[in-house]
Amino acid sequence: MVRLGRIEVGVFNVDGEFYALPNICPHQFGPLCAGTVNGTTACSAATDWRFAWVREGEIVTCPWHGIEFDITTGKSLSSPRLRVRTYPVAVADGQVTVTI
Amino acid sequence: MTATETIPTERIALTLADMAVVDADVHVNDTPGALAPYCDLPWRLSLQALDGASYPYLQVPGFAPNLRLDPPIPGSHPYRSVDTAAEMRAELSELEIDVGILFPDHMLTFAALPNIDYATALAQAYNRWLMEEWLLKQPGLYGVMLASPQNPEAAAREIERYAKVEKIVGIYLPTAGVNPLWGHRLYDPIMAAADASGLPVCLHSVTLVSPAFPCQLDQFENHFGRQVLSHSFAMMANLTSLIHSGVPARFPNLRVVFTEAGIAWVPYMMWRMDKYFNEYRRMVPFLEKRPSEYIKERMWFATQPIEEPDNPKDLVATIDLLGGPERVLFASDWPHHDFDHPRTIMKLPMPAAAKRQIMGENALALFGISAPVGKL
Repeated sequence: MVRLGRIEVGVFNVDGEFYALPNICPHQFGPLCAGTVNGTTACSAATDWRFAWVREGEIVTCPWHGIEFDITTGKSLSSPRLRVRTYPVAVADGQVTVTI
Repeated sequence: MTATETIPTERIALTLADMAVVDADVHVNDTPGALAPYCDLPWRLSLQALDGASYPYLQVPGFAPNLRLDPPIPGSHPYRSVDTAAEMRAELSELEIDVGILFPDHMLTFAALPNIDYATALAQAYNRWLMEEWLLKQPGLYGVMLASPQNPEAAAREIERYAKVEKIVGIYLPTAGVNPLWGHRLYDPIMAAADASGLPVCLHSVTLVSPAFPCQLDQFENHFGRQVLSHSFAMMANLTSLIHSGVPARFPNLRVVFTEAGIAWVPYMMWRMDKYFNEYRRMVPFLEKRPSEYIKERMWFATQPIEEPDNPKDLVATIDLLGGPERVLFASDWPHHDFDHPRTIMKLPMPAAAKRQIMGENALALFGISAPVGKL
């Protein structure tokens, strides 16, 4: 987590790719990026309607109400109305630069 | 220009004669004696033994199991039943209804019958009787076939048997007393057969004191309390059940109709399920979209007993909240004690096109029924 002026940003490393999201959940303004980073469940014809564990490391779950967000897109997994912006991230010479 | 052409069309009063009127919920009187000739042995003998006995409405031991706790309401309006197809045709026509979708009376408590073999035979008898004595005898009468929750495999075969029968336009899922609720995977054979048949499933409940949800109706002091909660709680519970086990995702062609619970509970349930979908999506990952989206795409709600707010605009707003007029089917519940006359919808402050949808167009499309002669 980094603070840039009044803005808190969570920076995530997903398999070597860096992503940055605002630390504010669009639901009730909870500290989204303080949430657990892990995977999620899937169940469809593709999994023969059995529960599977997928996308390990790509999902952050808001600690207030458990809403899941895709770190790579900023979209929640449950509602098109709940999404956060993603900030551009550049990596050069071992330095991670977030542009807000 | 003629005189009539000078009148703005919106000022010409819309009448029931101008549109197809389909009633998504009317009831036939299915007595033990009537069903007996259509029932296989040995259970035919049981129905014959019940024939002729006088029992109050929905209270026939071994046929319509119920626990009626109230005394007859002092000075109340009389009980009505429709006993023949000719009566039904005449009475619907009197109400300016072109097409009726027939549901049972006593078989409303069907799910509470514990004997599996008897229930299987009784469902088959009801379906044969409905076809022979009602649907084939009068024009404009269509039926929903009874699917026995006690025997899902037999019910699935029965659905396959009736899938292409013109006058059978849906599958009645007995909802009062059903345990487990209709979303349980136990019923997957019924949902799969319904999905393949193209026939919508129609949930219909009734006030029933039973250990199944909504249980504890016996705790109310009188029938006011039981009636207020029974049908709508049953529908809320079964809608939640269908969503929480992913029925609309697992059976992508399945269409669902909810009858006799009014409509105002629907926006509440949409909002509540969407809210908890945010928190518990990991537990229902088979849902590819919010619960409200499945509802707005593949579920319909019959009007009766329509809510009657002091300001009718509130009801029109409620219809918009649950997805608009295309989700709503007019139903009278004729001949029951709390039936709604078609004018309850006709008098609402809504555009003519919306009234046409609710009064008939939606149901004709959903049930695959041709427009009545001279209408549309």
